[in-house]
Amino acid sequence: MAKREEYIDKEKKEKGKKLFGIFPAQYPREILWAMNVLPVEIWDPPLEVIHANAHLQPYICSVVRLGLELILQGKCEGLDGFLFPHTCDSIQNLSSIVSDYLGVKKPCYFFYHPKSPYQDSSRVYYLEQLKGLVARLEKQLGPLDSSQLKHRVQQGQEVARVLKQLYDLRVQGELEASNADFYRVVRRGEYLSPDDFLPLLEEFLAAAKGSAQGGPAVIMSGVLPNPKEILTLLDELGVRIAHDDLLNCSRRLLVPPSRADDPFEALTESYFAMPPCTTKDSSVSERVDDLLAKVEQSNAKGVIFYMVKFCEPELFDVPQLTGELRKRGVATLLIDCELNQNLSGQLATRVEAFFEMIS
Amino acid sequence: MKYFLGIDVGALSTNAVILDVRREIVGYSIVQTGANSTEAAEETLEKALVMANIDRAKITSTVATGYGRISVPFAEKKVTEISCHALGAYYLYPDTGTVIDIGGQDSKVIRVGDGGKVLDFTMNDKCAAGTGRFLEVMAAKLRVSLDELGDLSLQASQEVQISSVCTVFAESEVVSLVAQNHPTEEIIRGLHRSIVNRIWSMVKMLGIRGAVTMSGGVAKNRGVVSLLEERLEQPIHVHTEPQIVGALGAALLALRLAQTAT
Amino acid sequence: MYLIKNLQYHFMKDLGLPALMRFSQRTKKRRPKKLDTCFGPPLTSTGRLKEIMTRHYLLSRYAEGARPVAWVTSGAPVELLRAFEFYTFYPENHGALCGAQKVGSELCEVAEGKGYSQDLCSYARIDLGVCFSGRTPVGKLPKPDLLFASNNICQTVVYWYKVLAYHWKVPLILFDTPYNFKDIADSDISYMVGQLEEMIPVLEEVSGKEFNYQRFQDVIRLAKEASLTWGEVLATMKARPAPMTIFDAFGHLAPIVSLRGLPVALNYYRVLLNELNDRVKKGIGAITDERKRLMWDNIAIWYKVRDLSNRFAERGMNFVAATYTNAWAETISYLDINHPFESLAKAYSLVILNNNLNHRFELMERLVKEYGVDGLVIHSARSCKPYSVGQYDIKRLLMDRLGVPSVVIEADIADSRVFSEEQTRTRLEAFFEAMEA
Repeated sequence: MAKREEYIDKEKKEKGKKLFGIFPAQYPREILWAMNVLPVEIWDPPLEVIHANAHLQPYICSVVRLGLELILQGKCEGLDGFLFPHTCDSIQNLSSIVSDYLGVKKPCYFFYHPKSPYQDSSRVYYLEQLKGLVARLEKQLGPLDSSQLKHRVQQGQEVARVLKQLYDLRVQGELEASNADFYRVVRRGEYLSPDDFLPLLEEFLAAAKGSAQGGPAVIMSGVLPNPKEILTLLDELGVRIAHDDLLNCSRRLLVPPSRADDPFEALTESYFAMPPCTTKDSSVSERVDDLLAKVEQSNAKGVIFYMVKFCEPELFDVPQLTGELRKRGVATLLIDCELNQNLSGQLATRVEAFFEMIS
Repeated sequence: MKYFLGIDVGALSTNAVILDVRREIVGYSIVQTGANSTEAAEETLEKALVMANIDRAKITSTVATGYGRISVPFAEKKVTEISCHALGAYYLYPDTGTVIDIGGQDSKVIRVGDGGKVLDFTMNDKCAAGTGRFLEVMAAKLRVSLDELGDLSLQASQEVQISSVCTVFAESEVVSLVAQNHPTEEIIRGLHRSIVNRIWSMVKMLGIRGAVTMSGGVAKNRGVVSLLEERLEQPIHVHTEPQIVGALGAALLALRLAQTAT
Repeated sequence: MYLIKNLQYHFMKDLGLPALMRFSQRTKKRRPKKLDTCFGPPLTSTGRLKEIMTRHYLLSRYAEGARPVAWVTSGAPVELLRAFEFYTFYPENHGALCGAQKVGSELCEVAEGKGYSQDLCSYARIDLGVCFSGRTPVGKLPKPDLLFASNNICQTVVYWYKVLAYHWKVPLILFDTPYNFKDIADSDISYMVGQLEEMIPVLEEVSGKEFNYQRFQDVIRLAKEASLTWGEVLATMKARPAPMTIFDAFGHLAPIVSLRGLPVALNYYRVLLNELNDRVKKGIGAITDERKRLMWDNIAIWYKVRDLSNRFAERGMNFVAATYTNAWAETISYLDINHPFESLAKAYSLVILNNNLNHRFELMERLVKEYGVDGLVIHSARSCKPYSVGQYDIKRLLMDRLGVPSVVIEADIADSRVFSEEQTRTRLEAFFEAMEA
């Protein structure tokens, strides 16, 4: 499989795709696919921060910092546009810095999704937001072909179905793959076209079926599995991440199927049936129930809250979640760190001590 | 006779404890870690052997713990200092429910269950506030030695409030307090209070259970211990050598390792 | 029971508390005030302000059981709740008060002890600290029957109120206001109107009162007039010398934030406006020697207001405008009694913090021109990301496009532990040197 940059480049040059840089987290990728756009998600580019500090205070998280750095280092020149979903205050303001202050000569789109607790008005609004986004994109990309959209929505559901299968096997301890491998494959979806991602997933599924090693199971909650060193460390200790509650993994990838015939209706139905998430203001009790269900299904001994430093939406919920888990005898570990930084000895020690505690 | 060795390679000191089969401490030592932790491990072992008056060959099994635990080539097993501090404290004081360890680079609070098992724990974040390192930096700023801090702070009749949470900020705060001619003892007491506040919020996160045992180098500082006792509203167990608690736990694990092997 | 509580509430509100407060004021020993030569005579309205706010907080003790109690975010369309006669409590206002009284940090520590990260908003940590410990400088907080939040000022309030909903086990109503990235579309307005309509049955249930459209219109009228009057109050600072400082305005802001839509707020601002107009006529300035006029960006540094106020006044520098105080004069005037729902949607979604940064820059540019601003002090507030992210660019643009110098202070709204005295002093001194050069 080609490297990320090479793949993206090829999609543009050989397949004539438009490239969009997508900031976290939830957006209707099917619409972009249907309009011949390859969404390339920007979560944790491996860069040294040089320029972004001139725009962002020290107390802003590294997802936002690295995303901005990617633009400032000129690495987004090949892109045809940006999309900013309304994920949190920092990404909201970042969108405006990029669009209003940086003088970036590329179309910038914003996608607002309604927040919980959902009402009837939320559903009406989400559907209108999808159509509004299409209308804005059409000005740049030409009209949307409705049969393409239907196809892409089906394809999106197919991707979600295979991912669900992978997660189910992992929960049951019937997937051999290491933590590092599992997330490497799952995260390929951040830039692969579904035409390539689907076969990759199928292949992985076939190859990785088999009994997982016998160590304790845990659940990882947070934004994304980075620094990746934690995955390797857990692999070395024999700890299996049996399920996750990660914003860039299960919380937005395990899209529940919809039977609606109209593609916009289908996308709307799926959005409101997604797992609870901080970026949609899901209530604490929904999140507690969701985590407890995952713990029970996978027989996990503990939950690791793997936080990106300064991430307010995640950090506000942690005390309630850990409290409820501990009440039920589930061990918890809270770690916060900056992206792409090696695990410090201190953090590694914490993880190892947690392992000693649950085994 | 068989002996069991625990080695704790910390950021500031490297400590060893040797136990006999009756679980009695027959030798221990504390040396500076310095730049080479493997050498420090060798040195501390030699000293402990001398004290125990035994031959190195008599050591049946070794467990290493602490930051530099990977730098102890002769250890059969490596275990984190969290598990070791819990075990060591439980051995010294079986009523221990909570261990507070303020080490050179980090501080931790551990909830201990039956048999010295770790039930839960928390550690300070990346920042050095609330650690031995914080006191070291401040002692240097105030031109007093680390060992003097405790007694000096007990002499203070008042204390200055240090409001900054960050070591760097606190350092500049100390500079201006010195410039304003605040007595050194009062500043030190304020610094101790600031450490105790940090530890206190970690303690509150876990909740206090049973007796509290303190380990690590800062436990030798009477000023910190007395402020902490005041805050916890209960006395704290402090061993005469609080720095060896981790190594002691490791030695207990070495003994357990040998027993399960046979 | 309800009747008695209700009677007690009304008695205390109209007669009991005012009498008590007069009594306590008389018995308080008058401290001789050291008259600082930098400042003009103090505003007499300030006494009235203190009375109003003290009575508001004291009244909360009688509100439980007598009135439905709602905890409300500063940007939420409280007008709708007023139509159901809620007693409203503003945790943000209370957080500012705790900050000003320098108890913010210790309340934050209470929340931190429960596992809330130091990186979270200090208003939220203070409020949670109060919930867990029961400690507050105002004596006691009224337990909420309802939580009412809008994400037009930040998403943080929603995260925070979700914790409150879990803690108090009461319903949370969210007014979700789409961010104005380029413009607010009709679909955004109808989404917001839809939400307001959906709230009515919930509010009827919690309050046990039927929705009264006429009362609602009255509230809208009062809120709009109060906001317009507040705008006039701020506009008096266009005069040279300005009759008050922004540091005063930070205090006078309390009624428009937390008593908006009630007659008391409107009446107060009329009194204040009269006094200020009178000072303008007589040429009385807030500071005696106004040489430079400054603008403040972001929420106040509550525990340093007096200190900063002195430091600037000493140098003949007066703050005459602030994006923060302006926020309550800017959009509430869109309110329209004939289209209350649509106008609420507009007024509340177009506030500064729910708006793109171009809008922010244009607003600042306008304020700079209208108020004759010579320089800017930008408070980069750890707690408040929507207010702070983008400030570094704003600073650069102010200089590039308008030639206005500015200084950034890295601090926080209510947690004094992250304030570095040394760092701030150096930055301010450099700024003073640049301004005076």
